[in-house]
Amino acid sequence: MPENSVPKAPLPWWAAGLLLGIVQILAVGLSGPLGVSTQFVVVEGVALNKVAPSYVEQHTLLQSEKYQKIGYGFWLDVGIVLGAFLAAVLAGRWRPRATTYWWRVSHGPTVGKRLLAGFIGGFLILMGARFAHGCTSGQFASGWAQLSLSVVPFTVSLFLFGMITALLAYPRTPNIDA
Amino acid sequence: MEEQVLGLLIGGLFGAGLILGGLADPDKIIGTLRLKDFHAMRTIAVFVLVGMLGTWMLGQAGLAHPSVKPASLVAVTLGGALLGIGFGLTGYCPGTGLACAAAGRLDALVTVIGMFLGALVFILIHPWAVVPIDKILAKGKVTLPDYTGTKPWMWVAGFCGIGGLILWISGRFGKKAADSSATARP
Repeated sequence: MPENSVPKAPLPWWAAGLLLGIVQILAVGLSGPLGVSTQFVVVEGVALNKVAPSYVEQHTLLQSEKYQKIGYGFWLDVGIVLGAFLAAVLAGRWRPRATTYWWRVSHGPTVGKRLLAGFIGGFLILMGARFAHGCTSGQFASGWAQLSLSVVPFTVSLFLFGMITALLAYPRTPNIDA
Repeated sequence: MEEQVLGLLIGGLFGAGLILGGLADPDKIIGTLRLKDFHAMRTIAVFVLVGMLGTWMLGQAGLAHPSVKPASLVAVTLGGALLGIGFGLTGYCPGTGLACAAAGRLDALVTVIGMFLGALVFILIHPWAVVPIDKILAKGKVTLPDYTGTKPWMWVAGFCGIGGLILWISGRFGKKAADSSATARP
């Protein structure tokens, strides 16, 4: 039954990879490599500057121009939200939901626990991304594109901890449409 | 103004690509981290290799706008571990979290809210926790060819070989997994 198994992605892997690779080339050619996580700090830096300018003034990071400027990187994040919304609607994939197939098969219909795990995970994701100077976009994908030295330890650490955590958090495997 | 248009355009294509390509799908990400569903792994491999080849060619033509991240080896490894734990727990990362929230996923929206709290705590601890860690084994904004004094094409060629091997092996494993799940069904 299709409702009980992980559906296929709209595009096959090679077309999906090609499309995302071309977006990366466009980004590098026109403005700068893809990146997402910096802007979470920028938005809060700009907001903090409005409510507590004296704190921002003496803050080593927030006082720098990069963290006080709403520019290309910010609009890229807004674009992700708009593009994802449109693509999901047009591909018939927009659907309100709060859990996943992998979560359900390991933890049952525990939506509250899924949301709590999501919140804790989100906290670790952004904290980690900023410690690492970038996330799966800015550090991983763009790091490999530019052959940066930092991408090697980042990739090993990201996937090692990602795989161990996924094994512990999702011990059971759902049906997967091939 | 131009920055706004460019950002919205490239971000829009990126967000659409993440949804259509199945990376903005936590089930596909967890399937790959559990080595049970190779769609996301293969998509990521092609994404990285095409981006690498294109960026290298743009660089050769003098048309690239690079932005290499500083290689503070301890901070990068620690950050990768924290991000990895969040990634393996949720199936989201910053870009796909935003995309999935926009596709109607309430759990992704809660993850994005967690990300804003993570960013705030990062700001608060930055002066005393992040700055000193960032200085340990700090190699600067350096690339692998710069660091080793080698030519970029050698790295591109080598990584294309490794990427090709990943695609070949995951293709064989994927087939095997599909065969065994097909026979397991009544």
